[in-house]
Parts: sequence; C-alpha cells; structure tokens
Amino acid sequence: MDLFNGALDRFWPSRMKPYSGWALIMPALLLVGLLVLGLLQMAESSFHTLDRATFLPSGDYTLENYGTVFESATYGRVIWRSVLGALLTVVFTLALALPYSYIMVRTHSATVRKALLIILFLPFFIGQVVRAYGLLIILGTSGVVNDALGLVGVEPIRLLFNFPAVVFGLVQYMLPFAVLMLAPALTAIPRETETAASSLGANWLQSFRHVVIPMAKPGLIGAGLVVGTLALTDFAMPAMLGGGSQDFIANAIYDQFFRTADQGLGAALALLLVVLGSVFVGIVISIFGAGTLGMGGKQ
Amino acid sequence: MTATSQRILFWGIVWFCILILSVPTIIVVGASVTTENMIAFPPTGFSLKWYEEIAMARDLRQAFVRSLIVSTICLIVSVPVGTLAGLALSRFRIRFSNAIQIYLLLPFTIPLIGSGIGMMLIFGEWRVLGSLWPVGVALAVINLPFIIWSVSSSAAALDSDLELAAASCGAGRFETFWFVTLPGVMPGVITGGLLMFVLAMTEFLVSLLLTDARTVTLPVQIYNNIRSIITPDLAAISSVFVVIALFAVWLLDRLVGLEIFLKSK
Repeated sequence: MDLFNGALDRFWPSRMKPYSGWALIMPALLLVGLLVLGLLQMAESSFHTLDRATFLPSGDYTLENYGTVFESATYGRVIWRSVLGALLTVVFTLALALPYSYIMVRTHSATVRKALLIILFLPFFIGQVVRAYGLLIILGTSGVVNDALGLVGVEPIRLLFNFPAVVFGLVQYMLPFAVLMLAPALTAIPRETETAASSLGANWLQSFRHVVIPMAKPGLIGAGLVVGTLALTDFAMPAMLGGGSQDFIANAIYDQFFRTADQGLGAALALLLVVLGSVFVGIVISIFGAGTLGMGGKQ
Repeated sequence: MTATSQRILFWGIVWFCILILSVPTIIVVGASVTTENMIAFPPTGFSLKWYEEIAMARDLRQAFVRSLIVSTICLIVSVPVGTLAGLALSRFRIRFSNAIQIYLLLPFTIPLIGSGIGMMLIFGEWRVLGSLWPVGVALAVINLPFIIWSVSSSAAALDSDLELAAASCGAGRFETFWFVTLPGVMPGVITGGLLMFVLAMTEFLVSLLLTDARTVTLPVQIYNNIRSIITPDLAAISSVFVVIALFAVWLLDRLVGLEIFLKSK
C-alpha cells in the first residue's frame, strides 16, 4: 500500500489535485473519441463518389453523394417509410406504455408491481434478434395467431413481411423503454392530486386528461422522442419482419456498404441519419435538460 | 379511486402488453422441445434432441464462445473506464462538466448504425477488422453510459465525509480510494458490469457490422440462420438467451431491486 501511495505521490502530487477529475475521466473521453473519429471518417468517405470503372472511391471531393440521396425517389420512399413507421410506433407504444406504467406505479400490491417489472425487463435482456425470431414464429402462416384465427373460421392471412408487421415488431421492441421512461414521471405525481380531482367531481377520464397527462408530459415527450429515434434508426425489425420489402434508412445504409459496395453513398446516408437523430435529441435536451439522462450525482 | 370502466380498460391494455411481451418468449422455449423437424406450437411431444443438436453444432458452439470472449473484453474495457468516469463526474468538480456529459452521451445519441459504420471504417483503416477484440471495444463504447450512470448514482449516495475521515485517520490517498471509495461504489460497479456483459452478449447490429464469417458472434449467427431457414435448433439456441436473461433479471433484482427504476429523480 505504501508503495502505491508513494507512486501516487510521485506521479500525481497533491498540487495536481484540480486536474484529478480530468485524469479520471480521460479514458472515457478517449473511448468515446472512437465514435467521433468514426464520424469524421464517414464524413470523409461521403465526399467521394464510387468510380464505376475501378469500383474504388474516386479521389476528388464532391457533394454528389448528397445530391443523389436527395434526388433519388427510392431514398425518398425509404426515408418516408422510416419516418411514418417511427411516428406510428411512437403513438402505439405510448398508448400502451401509459396505462402499463400507471398500473405498475399505482398498484397497491408489491407482487403485481414486481411481476410487471420482470415481464418488462426480461425482453430487454433477451435481445432483439431472439425477440424478432419469436414474432416470426407467432405471425407465420402456420403460426399461433393464424391457428387461433383458424379456430374461429378465418382463412390464414399473411401477417408477415409487410409494413404493419414491422410497426408491430417495433412497438413490441420499444415498449419496455417507454414504460421505464414514463414510470418515474408518474411516480412524481402525488396520489392526492388525483383524489382531489375526483372529489371535486371529475370522472376518471377527466382527471386523467386534465391532471395525469399534463403532469406526465415531460416523461411522455421524453419517452416519445427516445422511442421515435430508436425506431427511426432501427435495422433488425425491418430486416427480419419486413422480409426485404420494407427497408428503413438503416437497411438502405447497410445495403450500400455490403451489397452495392458504394461506401461514399452509404456514408452520406448514415451521416444524414446521424444529423436527423441529433436534431431530435438536441430538441429534447434543450427543452427538458439532460434530465433523467444526466450522469452527474450533483443536483 | 379507480372507476370500474377505468380498471377494465387499463387492465385490458396491460394484459395485451403482457401478451405481446411474453408470448414470443414462451413460444420460442416451447418450440425448442418439439420432436418434429418443423417449428410447431404447441410442441408435438417432448424431447431435448434439439439441445443435443446445438451442443454438437460446431458453428453455433464457436459463435457462443466468441460471444463470451467479446463480452469479457467489453467488461474488461468498460468497467475500469466507466468506474473512473462515474467517480470523476460525481466526486470531482470538473470544468465544462455539462459539455462533458453531453459528449459522454454520444453513444446513445448517435444512431447505432452510424456508430457501427464509423467504427467499422476506423478499425478497417487500422487493419484490425477480423479479430474479436475490436468488437468487444466497440460494444464497450456503445453501452458506456450505462456503467457511468450506475457508478455515479452509487457514488452520489456515498457520504464524502467517509473519505475525509479516512484521510484524517492517516490513510494515504491511494488507501482512501482502495479501502473507502471503491468498496462504497461497488454495488454500482457490479450492476453496471452486469448490464455491460449481458447487453454485449445480445448485441446485434454493431456486431453484424464488425464481424465476418470467421468472427461471427451468436446473435449474428442466429440472424444469418433465420434468413436461410427456420428450424427448431434456432429455438433451442434462443432459449439459451432466455435463460441468460432470466439470470440477469434475477441478479439485478437481488443487487439493486427492480423497483429502483420506478423512482423519480
């Protein structure tokens, strides 16, 4: 121990104390620096078009790739599909997550609360691929849902590889995130406020609409934006439940890198997506502060 | 307080959520014990032959070992880095700490496809693509905020008088850190480490971008196999993930209690 103390005193004497915090945080800054380097590298590649003769990126700097993205009808469709998918996912996810968090926070039974929490956390740790695989089995033509429909005399219908299947998969995927972001906001609403509203004659719908929802608004908007950005940039659900016909932006980026091998165009698309995502996040942080995302212990 | 109509509506929605969250998992586990060569639910008969099959399958076994290696590397990188950063943010006054926090949240704010492609380009430039350690490092980067959170919230709960007391009793700076501060934040370190390991085990997109046929990890292998054909052996291997998740939830509940996620700050 004395050895370590001695070493510390020699290499980091007490007068260096104002910089101790910086020294401790430096490894994390460097590690995250990998992402910044990656973004710079992506920006660099996005300025080179693919030379169709040699299939190598050309040496000249040009904005042509960005032009291609904005002019192409295909990318327009993909971007529109992603944005629409993300919006629908936000609406459905919040509609499901709000009652779920409300019941979970308000229930008097500790067992019910624990059970609802476990049901929420389990999928979170199972991972996206396995969850999508489960949905594939359920929604398949000879899957459980079609079997159940068959019992009531409905012909098997194709539930997979279409837009609604992707949105359903995204809602199922995002639900735990949304509930976990909403629950603290609902916990912060005192039970008494609702009791007061109802004792003044408000029915539950009114007290929900005029008390709970306004007070949970920061949580709702935060959850909505997180769900929105994650859905907008998702890869696995469109790839697995969309069956190649329902590509989102992330799938288009992947295809540019691994199918067409047009790095420059792929990098331009990816960078646009990063900007789109950052604008979203920027809005959240500027309106609500880092809030629940803040990492410091100081209040 | 609650009207009957509200109870019916809300519980109806809650049951719907429970259904869509749990049924896929139950079906996967159920389908893994079928005796048929096709996915079937309810399973026809009961057999563990598909578990035997996956234990024999070389590609799946290797992918599983690779996933363990990658997650371990992720743990080795992220735990010290995240612990020090968490301590720095909660125990030290740092100038520009707001800007630093926003910077350290980049792994969450940059879409995964962007982070993955960026690191793929960087690792490609450094000629290290094709080995496993860059995958582990990349997974440490994209999930780093989790462990920083976990450690800094643990550190915020630790009374700084304890450190002063140790120092005034003659403990050197290193001794104070090693015997007082570090044990104090250990719950946060363990919780964060657990999150990092399990999330690295199940991570898909960044792993897909950074691996090739020789370094493919288990989630990517499952994805590749699904694209070709759906067979019960995939259900069996997926059940392995369900077991890991059950263990993780149990451990998380024991360590910090799941209810902590309901608290408002």
